[in-house]
Amino acid sequence: MGLTERINKTDKLSYYEGQIPIEYVYTYGLGLEKFFRAIKDQGKFLASTCKECGVTYLPARSFCERCLVKIEGTTAVPGTGTVYSYTTVHLNMDESPKKEPALVALIDMDGTDCRFLHYLTGVKADKVKVGMKVKPALKAKKDRKGHIEDIVGFQPS
Amino acid sequence: MAYQKVAIVGAGITKFVRRAQETGKELAFQASKMALDSCGMTIDDIESVSLGTAPDAFDGVHMKGEYLSDGSGGWRKPYMRQFVGGGTGVFAPIHGWLHVASGMFDTCLVVCSEKMSSCYPHPQGAFKTIFDHTTEQALDPTLIWIFALEMNRFMSTYGITKEEIAQVSVKNKKNAMDHPAAQLPMEITVDDVMNSETLAWPVNRLDISPASDGAAAIVLASEHASKRITDKPVWIDGVGWNLDTAYWATRDLSYPRYVEKAARMAYDMAGVVEPKREIEIAEPYDPFDYKELHHMEGLQLADRGKAVEMLLDGVTQRDGDRPMCPSGGALGVGNPIAATGLMKVIEIFLQLRGEAGKRQVPGSPRCGLAQAWGDLMQVGTVVVLRR
Ligand SMILES: [Zn+2]
Repeated sequence: MGLTERINKTDKLSYYEGQIPIEYVYTYGLGLEKFFRAIKDQGKFLASTCKECGVTYLPARSFCERCLVKIEGTTAVPGTGTVYSYTTVHLNMDESPKKEPALVALIDMDGTDCRFLHYLTGVKADKVKVGMKVKPALKAKKDRKGHIEDIVGFQPS
Repeated sequence: MAYQKVAIVGAGITKFVRRAQETGKELAFQASKMALDSCGMTIDDIESVSLGTAPDAFDGVHMKGEYLSDGSGGWRKPYMRQFVGGGTGVFAPIHGWLHVASGMFDTCLVVCSEKMSSCYPHPQGAFKTIFDHTTEQALDPTLIWIFALEMNRFMSTYGITKEEIAQVSVKNKKNAMDHPAAQLPMEITVDDVMNSETLAWPVNRLDISPASDGAAAIVLASEHASKRITDKPVWIDGVGWNLDTAYWATRDLSYPRYVEKAARMAYDMAGVVEPKREIEIAEPYDPFDYKELHHMEGLQLADRGKAVEMLLDGVTQRDGDRPMCPSGGALGVGNPIAATGLMKVIEIFLQLRGEAGKRQVPGSPRCGLAQAWGDLMQVGTVVVLRR
C-alpha cells in the first residue's frame, strides 16, 4: 500500500519484462448515460431517487443498491455543495512531483445523499475549509464531450 | 454452537522485503513449509487449502489463484483463492475456518502470498483500476487521495493533529525492530514523520507503509485433530466480515462502520460482551498511521475520537495495558497486501502462546484479535483468538 519507492535497481537480480496488451471501451450504462448527456447538452446535474428508501443518488443510477429495486426517472439538482474533506496532492501517478500541488475535495452535493470527488479551482490551499460552499465550473458547451472532465472543478460560491 | 472448534496449530512467515528474488510461488512455498514444519506436519496431513492473494494486476497473471497453487500446497487438493484487497489476509483464515468449522475437513493450510514489486514502475498503476472508470479514473486519482481525504476528515471531526497521529508510526516502526521479518524497522521521532515529504496533505511519507514482497501461512485443525498436533492450540473463537458501499466517496469517512459490523459479528460468535475489557491485545490494520486509531474505534476498543488518548497515554505501547500492533504492523513489518493480515493473525497466535520472543507483551493475554481492511477501502475482516 505504500506508494513511495520507485523501483530502479534491478541490476542485482535477473529479470525480464512483460506487458498486458489490452485497452478498454466502457459504456456509460443506463444510469450514467442520462447523467453525462445532461451535463454535455444542458449543463445540468441529474440525480435519481429510490422510491423505496428515499435515497437520492448523484450521478443518477438505474437501481438502488440498498433496496435492490429499479429506479425510474431523474431530477435535476443544482450541482452546488459543501466541502466534506480535501487534500493537496503533491505527486503525479508516477511519483514525480507536480509543478503546483493539486487541490482535490470530496463535496457533499446539495439535494442528494452523495458526494463528488473532484478538483477545487479558483481558490488557494490555505483558504480551503471543511464546510466551505462550492459550485461547479463547467467547460464551455462547445468543448463538452459528455465526460467527467466536462466539469473543470468546483469553486467557492 | 453447531460448528467444529477450529485451532491454529502452526505458523510460518518469510521476511518482508521491497523486491524479493523469489517468485510469488516460491514465497508461498517458503511460508507454507515453515508453517507445516513448525507443527511437525507434511502436506499429506492437509485436507484443504485456502489461498489469499490480492490483485491479479500485481503479477499481470489473470489467474493468480491457480498461479500460486503449487507453492501453496494446492496440488490435487480442494483449493480456494480468496480476495478482498487489503482485507484478504484475515479473509483467507476466515475461509479456512469455514472449511474446518463446517466439518468438511479436519485440517486446512491457509497461505497468503504477495509480490508487489513485479509491477513497474510502481503498483500505483494497478491501484488506479480500483477507481470507477467513468467518474473517477479520468481525474488521475491515486490511492493516497482516498487516505488523505479520510485522514483529513478524521482529524477535522475530532480535532486530532498530525503530530498526535504520527506517534502511531513512531510506535509501530519501533516495535518492528524486534520482528525478524521486518522490512522497515526504525527508531524515529514525531519530527521525522512531520518533516518527511508531503505526498498528499495530511499524508507524509513516514505516515504510510511500504510496498512489499512476502508470504505468511498458518495451519488450522479441528479440536480432535489438534490433539495429535499440539498441546498449545490457539482457538479461532469468532470470525466476522462486512462490506460497505463501493461508492467510497459517499461513506462516512470519520468512522469505519463496516469494521464495526465485522467486529460485532465476530464478538457475538466468540461471546465477547465488553470488547474494551475482554480484548487484551490487538493487531488493527495499519497501512497508514491514522488507520490504527480509526480501526480501534470501529473495533469498539476505543470510543469515537478517543483512540488517540489511549495512544498518547501509552496504553497501546507493547508494555501498555492494551498493546496495539506489537508486531510492528504494516508500518514497520511491511505491507505485502494479503500477507500483512495473516502476519497480524500470526502475531496474536504467538503472543497468546507466549512465543513472541522479544516482542512478547506482559500479562499472559488470553484473548486477542486481528483485523484487516481493503477492497475499495470498505471491507472489514476480523478474527477473535483465545488460548
Ligand atoms: Zn432504495
